[in-house]
Amino acid sequence: MNTKLLKADWPKHVILLLAGFITFYPFIFMVQTSFKSSFQFQHEFWLPTFPLQPLNYKDAFNQIWPYLVNSFVVSGVTVILVLGLASFAAYTFARYDFPGREILFLGILGLLMIPGILTLVPAFLLIRDFGLIGTRWALILPYLSGGQVFAIFIMRSFIAGLPEELYESARIDGATNWHMFWRITMPLCKPILVTIGVMNILGTWNDYIWPLVTLPDDRLWTVTVGIVKFTGHFQGLEAWGQMFAGYVIASAPLIVLFVFTMRAFISGLMSGAIKA
Amino acid sequence: MHTLDRDVGQVSAMDVSTKPRSRFMLTVGRMRRRSFCYLFLLPTFVLLAMFNYWPALSALYHSFFQWNGANFKEWYGLQNFLQIFRDSVMRTAFKNMFIISGFGLVISITFPLAAAALIFHLQDLKFAYFYRVMYVVPMVVPGMVTLMIWRFIYNPQVGLLNALLEAIGLPTRIWLGDFQYALYALIFIGFPWVAGTSMLIYLAGLQGIEPSLLDAAAIDGASGLKRFWYLELPLVASQIKLIVILTLIGAIQGFQGPLVMTGGGPGTTTMVPGLWLYKNAMNYNKMGYACAIGTFLFIVTMGLTFINLRFVQSSAEFEGA
Repeated sequence: MNTKLLKADWPKHVILLLAGFITFYPFIFMVQTSFKSSFQFQHEFWLPTFPLQPLNYKDAFNQIWPYLVNSFVVSGVTVILVLGLASFAAYTFARYDFPGREILFLGILGLLMIPGILTLVPAFLLIRDFGLIGTRWALILPYLSGGQVFAIFIMRSFIAGLPEELYESARIDGATNWHMFWRITMPLCKPILVTIGVMNILGTWNDYIWPLVTLPDDRLWTVTVGIVKFTGHFQGLEAWGQMFAGYVIASAPLIVLFVFTMRAFISGLMSGAIKA
Repeated sequence: MHTLDRDVGQVSAMDVSTKPRSRFMLTVGRMRRRSFCYLFLLPTFVLLAMFNYWPALSALYHSFFQWNGANFKEWYGLQNFLQIFRDSVMRTAFKNMFIISGFGLVISITFPLAAAALIFHLQDLKFAYFYRVMYVVPMVVPGMVTLMIWRFIYNPQVGLLNALLEAIGLPTRIWLGDFQYALYALIFIGFPWVAGTSMLIYLAGLQGIEPSLLDAAAIDGASGLKRFWYLELPLVASQIKLIVILTLIGAIQGFQGPLVMTGGGPGTTTMVPGLWLYKNAMNYNKMGYACAIGTFLFIVTMGLTFINLRFVQSSAEFEGA
């Protein structure tokens, strides 16, 4: 019975594997070509060649490392500040009753309806008028402001769902507001903080248009903008191996993040889609 | 909603009977006692006011102006909005937007749904897990790297696609530089479109179906396509509607693909509304017109979201019945 059922599955496996292969082949091609010299690339296009050319990675890394540093700084600073601010705000909205709470929360919720394309031009002019064009703040401040919206939205419902008994007993023991925030709420929020953090990093790391608009020279460019530039550089040299090595290096940080936070990463991707 | 201050809740229940004047004083008193709440929220709202509320309002406001973003600003009435419909580039952009939306819709409710259904129907859960992970991994690669790989795939001299076509004896093309094919080359990016959030959302929807329903269907002898068509498809209707609205929003507002891959060219054959907004603002300094395009796209999106919300509600009622 069981083996019969399993055998009945083979057409599904064929379709799923074929679709998977077509999806994956460009990435396989990226990795194998990243180890080829120009000569090897010209003579064997489809398959891996030997000896491998690990020095491609050195050339690519020399081009890409400043962008990587910039991405780390911008995404890192942003995610820490977003988590901090959103925790404060979400805790306040979820656990305290104060005049104007509903209206203020609606004011945040409504921002989920405002698309980036509407605010692009005035936000750019604002950054220009603040004199922040060509500085990291041009990225971090808007990322922080926009990133906290969805984070507050998610965290508020999570914190509101925590059992009231926890807080009641803490208050009987004479706990301060700060204590209830830092010692009770935050430890329970760890899983949701990881998800929101991953989601935020994905968003800022992959953003292209905003850094392109606000950073006129490439000194502070993030990897996502930098990739396009070094593609042009290596394309001009027809150095395909180095170009693909650069792509592998540019992908590595997110892949490492994925390995360490798989579950949070997937729910981050899905909520990222729902946000957009 | 949990609230910490039960006593305050009682006060507000009582103050219905008190005079308006003292109600106001009570509110002020509560605000004072809760002042730390406002302090906690202050940084959040300062940032939102500067970087979210202000730009949004500014965009709506400046839609009615001729504006270069600096020293020239003149009331322009509805001229910017009329210009949207007169502008021939904008017409091309809208035409492309419709084509991209149409293909996007068909693609997003076929390929990923089929993949999710196939994975869901596998008998062996280990394989189901394997495929799920396999289809997630490509999403981990940064979007720009994927775009750049596709740019290489379409490369006329050394690209994968032309090499493949040559190998099987078909004519090659300059895909992204081709007046006829460039737009379709952009739409084709990501083929076979199975690895993405849509697939995960569909799969989650299928896995959320009450198992007793599936068992009942199995007992009744419904299997394979029949079961999918009559049982599972209606039950993932809300997931389909979510994907539909996300796809439409992406098609209406997105322009990163055309910007990076073709810059809207050759000519204006791959121009989309978002890219035309971007060019008007960044290249031609027509900030007022760009704001008007943004406002227009915002209104279109709002309208579609509203229609979709009503649909989702009706389907939920249908499911409940």
